[in-house]
Amino acid sequence: MSNGKQLGKLFGAQIKMMFREKQVWFWNLFFPIILMVIFMIIFGGSGNSNFKAKVAVVKPSVNETSNMLESYLRNVSVLEWKSEQTVDEAQADDWVKNKKVDAVIVLPAAGATTLDLIVNKENERSATTQVISGILDQFIQQTNYAVAGIQPTFKVETKSVSGGSEDLSYVDFLLTGMIALAVAQGGLFGMVDMVEMRRKGLLKRLKMTPVKMGLFGVGGMMVRLVLGIVQVLILTLIGVLGFGAKLHVDVSTLIVAFFIGALAFNALGYLFSSFSKSIEAYMGMANIASFLMMFLSGIFFPTSGFPEWLLPVSKVLPLTYFVNGIRDGLAYGSGIATGEFWSGIGILGAWGLVAFVLGVLIYRRGKVEVR
Amino acid sequence: MSILEVKGLRKSFGAVTAVEEISFTVEAGEVFTIIGPNGAGKTTTLEMIEGLQFPDAGTIVLNGMTWDKDADRIKMIIGVQPQSSAMFDLLTVEENLDLFASFYPRSKQTAEVLEMINLTDHRAKRVKALSGGQQQRLAIGLAMISDPQIIFLDEPTTGLDPQARRNIWDIVLKLKELGKTTILTTHYMEEAEKLSDRVCIVDQGRIVTLDTPAKLIDRLTKEREVRLFFQDGEAAAQETEEVAKSRPSVVRTALEGSALKLWSVQPEETLYDVFGFTKEKGYRVEQVSIREMSLEDVFIAFTGKEWRD
Repeated sequence: MSNGKQLGKLFGAQIKMMFREKQVWFWNLFFPIILMVIFMIIFGGSGNSNFKAKVAVVKPSVNETSNMLESYLRNVSVLEWKSEQTVDEAQADDWVKNKKVDAVIVLPAAGATTLDLIVNKENERSATTQVISGILDQFIQQTNYAVAGIQPTFKVETKSVSGGSEDLSYVDFLLTGMIALAVAQGGLFGMVDMVEMRRKGLLKRLKMTPVKMGLFGVGGMMVRLVLGIVQVLILTLIGVLGFGAKLHVDVSTLIVAFFIGALAFNALGYLFSSFSKSIEAYMGMANIASFLMMFLSGIFFPTSGFPEWLLPVSKVLPLTYFVNGIRDGLAYGSGIATGEFWSGIGILGAWGLVAFVLGVLIYRRGKVEVR
Repeated sequence: MSILEVKGLRKSFGAVTAVEEISFTVEAGEVFTIIGPNGAGKTTTLEMIEGLQFPDAGTIVLNGMTWDKDADRIKMIIGVQPQSSAMFDLLTVEENLDLFASFYPRSKQTAEVLEMINLTDHRAKRVKALSGGQQQRLAIGLAMISDPQIIFLDEPTTGLDPQARRNIWDIVLKLKELGKTTILTTHYMEEAEKLSDRVCIVDQGRIVTLDTPAKLIDRLTKEREVRLFFQDGEAAAQETEEVAKSRPSVVRTALEGSALKLWSVQPEETLYDVFGFTKEKGYRVEQVSIREMSLEDVFIAFTGKEWRD
């Protein structure tokens, strides 16, 4: 049988095996989908345009200042009043403690000039608190100007910018991160078959037939690439249709990043399989690697928020470069022309190559168990 | 020319010597059985012949070919059923056979093999859904898919119930009819006796004895242990012992209270004589047994050692 025909047979058999394994479905498709949906709902659901903070307003005394501030506050559209009227302090305190409102705004008492913002201790550092405090700052400043009759000369207008497109949102960031993570995990966990085949003596059995183990490996790799493409398509569809992600695809960038990344992570899985005596050992290793990288490679949150000492770690991990490559290809619509893209791909490729060579060496050296 | 010639095989793993010195030849069309306790070196010997392990010393010639020069050609003429059921669990019986068939330039028809291993009705079942015996039959089917000249079966019946075991025997006998050479390992003397042309007993990496089953069994059955329990007490047993001792077929005797043990090369005849005596005397014999020969006895007889497991 010719090599091509043989490869076709091996590919066919392995693709059947993969799609018949329920674990594959769960870990490679359902798990990333569930993870993505959860993150999207928690962090990606509220864009700035529809941000609303629930507040209660306390007016300790009725005077001109407090009346004026109250009427101005009513015009701030992002603040949603829990009660139409102002409330007393005790009621407001109660609401904050029970988290019925995000914050309580206490208007200045007679003669005072301070406006208090009361939040729950738990939410002190939350994004909502920051936003409300920011809004109030701006609001007070403008009121000050108005009272003093000053027309502000300078204004800051914030616009988010990113590598390529202006409308890159967290949803796009998360979607592309999840795609990279899913493909990477597919590779890290996908080589569990090798452990099982060795444990059952199937690897030995195949060595006693004229089949070329290299062809067998190529067939398996092709199957995993197919799975990777299915992952990319399904996650993209869910991200775009379900969460309104806007993608800017650069096909050649995407293809290069996808192939090098998929190969590199499969090589890592192969390396793990070379020294795992049992499935449990392999899964443990793959889990540690995947969890470390999941949080240190900027899948869910940008690495720019990391403490400085952690950055070098993130700069070493292959997933960092894979997710950058995928983002270049899917969200920024750029990359293939930049040196940064290629150096990232180079580091990723180096990881893959080293892992593969080590794996081959360990497999070669490994002795067959004696009975 | 012999189809398989093994000369001076030796293999150690670190400090452990698995195979000390093994030499034998197998003729084409023979069923050749290797028996021995666990750790005797059976599997290591087989794996060296199958090309999975490289011997420290010795030569292996398969149909005139050696592993270092003709590995690819040797793989075409051998079929192997390893101890573990090494097949693709998620594929069906037929898909497994088809896949293995694709590894070879020429192969048997899948349908023909299915018929031979009696799995035609289960062809569409996944390996996971098969019983132990069915899996083992499929493993043998995979070994014969390339229509090899030499088939290696490593303990094909271990752990199977008697019916499943008999089904495997049928397949081995069919292979023999087809003129295939079969190298078999087993734990069961009965199996070796039924199936093989020659049996080779190995222990501690050496061949203890090698002969046709008939000759081996003949040697083994020289002495059989017979046990008699007397209801009338020690005196009756003692008296009977004296009578038994006088028979030429009785090699030795032993007395344990009112139980009499005797070793005879012709147990039926000895018992006939003993019962003649006890009937005459009116002694009542409660329990009579002739101990069946097991692999353990074969082993003890040839090595003079206890069975190690």
